[in-house]
Amino acid sequence: MAVLVDEGYQTHPTVQHRFFPYAQNGGTVVAVAGEDFSVVGCDTRLSEGYSILSRDVSKVRKMTKSGLLGCVGFHGDVLTLTKMLDAKMKQYKHTHGKDMSCEAMAQMLSSTLYYRRFFPYWVYNMVAGIDNNGKGCVFSYDPVGSYERETYRACGSASAIIQPLLDNQLGYKNQSNANPAPLTRDRVRTMVRDIFAAASERDIYTGDEVEISVIDANGIDTQRFPLRSD
Amino acid sequence: MFQSRSEYDRGVNVFSPEGRIFQVEYAIEAIKLGSTAVGIQTKEGVCLAVERRITSPLMIPSSIEKIVEIDDHIGCAMSGLIADSRILIDHARVEAQSHWFTFNEKMSIESVTQSVSNLALSFGEYDRKSMSRPFGVAILMAGVDENGDSVLLHMDPSGTYLKYGAKAIGAGSEGAQATLEEQYHKSMTLDDGIKLCLNVLKQVMEEKISSTNIEVGVCRKSEEKPGKFHLLGKDAIDTLLTTL
Amino acid sequence: MSILEYNGASIVAMKGKNCVAIAADKRLGIRFQTVSCDFQKIFPMGKKLFIGLPGLATDVQTFANELKFHTNLYNLSESREISPKVFLSMVSNFLYQRRFGPYFIEPVIAGLDPKTDEPFIASTDLIGCPMVTDDFVVAGTCLEQLYGMCETLYKPDMQPDELFECISQSLLNAQDRDAYSGWGGVVYVIEPNKITKRELKARMD
Repeated sequence: MAVLVDEGYQTHPTVQHRFFPYAQNGGTVVAVAGEDFSVVGCDTRLSEGYSILSRDVSKVRKMTKSGLLGCVGFHGDVLTLTKMLDAKMKQYKHTHGKDMSCEAMAQMLSSTLYYRRFFPYWVYNMVAGIDNNGKGCVFSYDPVGSYERETYRACGSASAIIQPLLDNQLGYKNQSNANPAPLTRDRVRTMVRDIFAAASERDIYTGDEVEISVIDANGIDTQRFPLRSD
Repeated sequence: MFQSRSEYDRGVNVFSPEGRIFQVEYAIEAIKLGSTAVGIQTKEGVCLAVERRITSPLMIPSSIEKIVEIDDHIGCAMSGLIADSRILIDHARVEAQSHWFTFNEKMSIESVTQSVSNLALSFGEYDRKSMSRPFGVAILMAGVDENGDSVLLHMDPSGTYLKYGAKAIGAGSEGAQATLEEQYHKSMTLDDGIKLCLNVLKQVMEEKISSTNIEVGVCRKSEEKPGKFHLLGKDAIDTLLTTL
Repeated sequence: MSILEYNGASIVAMKGKNCVAIAADKRLGIRFQTVSCDFQKIFPMGKKLFIGLPGLATDVQTFANELKFHTNLYNLSESREISPKVFLSMVSNFLYQRRFGPYFIEPVIAGLDPKTDEPFIASTDLIGCPMVTDDFVVAGTCLEQLYGMCETLYKPDMQPDELFECISQSLLNAQDRDAYSGWGGVVYVIEPNKITKRELKARMD
């Protein structure tokens, strides 16, 4: 994950300078799709290097009543990308007279990101919400717009720490005698809380507070819980 | 009256003192020369029927295309200067695909018609990109949306588009419209709607109706929304004609 | 690519109630190509003392042999088994001797004290900085994945069977998310009166 900082134990006699107009502001987002709901959790810490810029910056925003967008990476690009998307959502509403569905938003985000293929938005995105059939959906992206619909995904600085856990507990991977029980909102909410507690222990860029939003046909319910502040 | 008419009716972008753009109105008149087209919307789906108007026995009927597909779930019938309609149809097709590319969903019929109407009004004398005159064609856009609603829209050269339950355009439109007003009702089944279309065409066509001199397009609402638009084959039309 | 990622490995050790467990994957690769699926990474150094060595494979084998050499000498001259704490100091010392041309390994030590059977786990970095913990230690190319799994699944004072389940699940799910480790797993559970070695069935990719 922290690709540019970790170079193993190599030392370089000469340092090459290159144009790199990005910063890494850390943060993690986790999203899980249930039968008729989706849950998105994010931490609220914004960092740069070893400093903390803010303890109260949420990484998830509401786009429509059926879709949430989570973005982590370079915060400057996060802000610009969300502005662009807000504008496009409004245009869609004015042209077509209805809110953009979650699946439409997913595809639109992909095209928006690919538009900047040769100078990308340094943002890892996740779209979560309710699809046209009322089922929970999660879409995860890379910075240039490649996307896929999944049941669960973690992205951001602690993604490597969290993803295998989701595989094990939600995907029942490597469990030969597992009894997959249907997911409930409470179980997922508790799981996301525990996951962020574990992640904030081991990842310096994740911490402060975890904000968990549950989206379903009735709307979006958001709660915050404290995490380690160190 | 006639005098002022001839003074203000040459320019495509000139208003008359009464506030009319004559060129657009004349374009609407041009539709009355075109072959008749009928569209009917029901809860189960929509249907379109058009008279092919074969002027010579040497003509190959299947090369006359007056109902076209815009997307899987949208079809379009036209009446008037058919060559003009090719530009509108192409634009509609591109818009529908562009929408799918960006939003991964089927464009609604109303949105497609709106994008076409934007084109219909972009004419000007000195503008190289747009047409130099209004389009001389009216279209009936029909289909079933992703949410299951069946829709029939009529657009004329002025760019105005309106939803209809049943509409006829072209040469025999007056008589056809009168019949539709009498016999159409909202709770018709689609099969009855198709029969009504054919009956109306039979009434207003000069030649005897047959499967070679008409085209019929149907978009039926199905389990997998949206429904698929398709043209009826010769055999299907023959069967229907025997039941009239 | 870092030299420590050249061959690929994942090792994890956990402490339970009067027992310890150490587990490793079995892949040996050369960059992205897999060369072997039964490469030994855990080496016994005493009756109840094991060391797991991730990192550059040539250093893994050389260092394991060197350690065995010195442990044998210690056992002979002291007429007793080396305890895990002392073993840690020995490892740390040998690695620091190569401070400016290090062995590219990051050892993980797990064992029970020969006299008191007290469980002990520790790890060091490649130049010998020791770290003793009470819960678990991880090392290898899927470090972060292992941290995530262990942090959540671990609880203190687990019985040997529970400990085995916990360490296996941690290793298997973490190595599934790492291209450089996998191709099976091996787990040693060390109790005062027996050592159990089990092979894990994993995704072979």
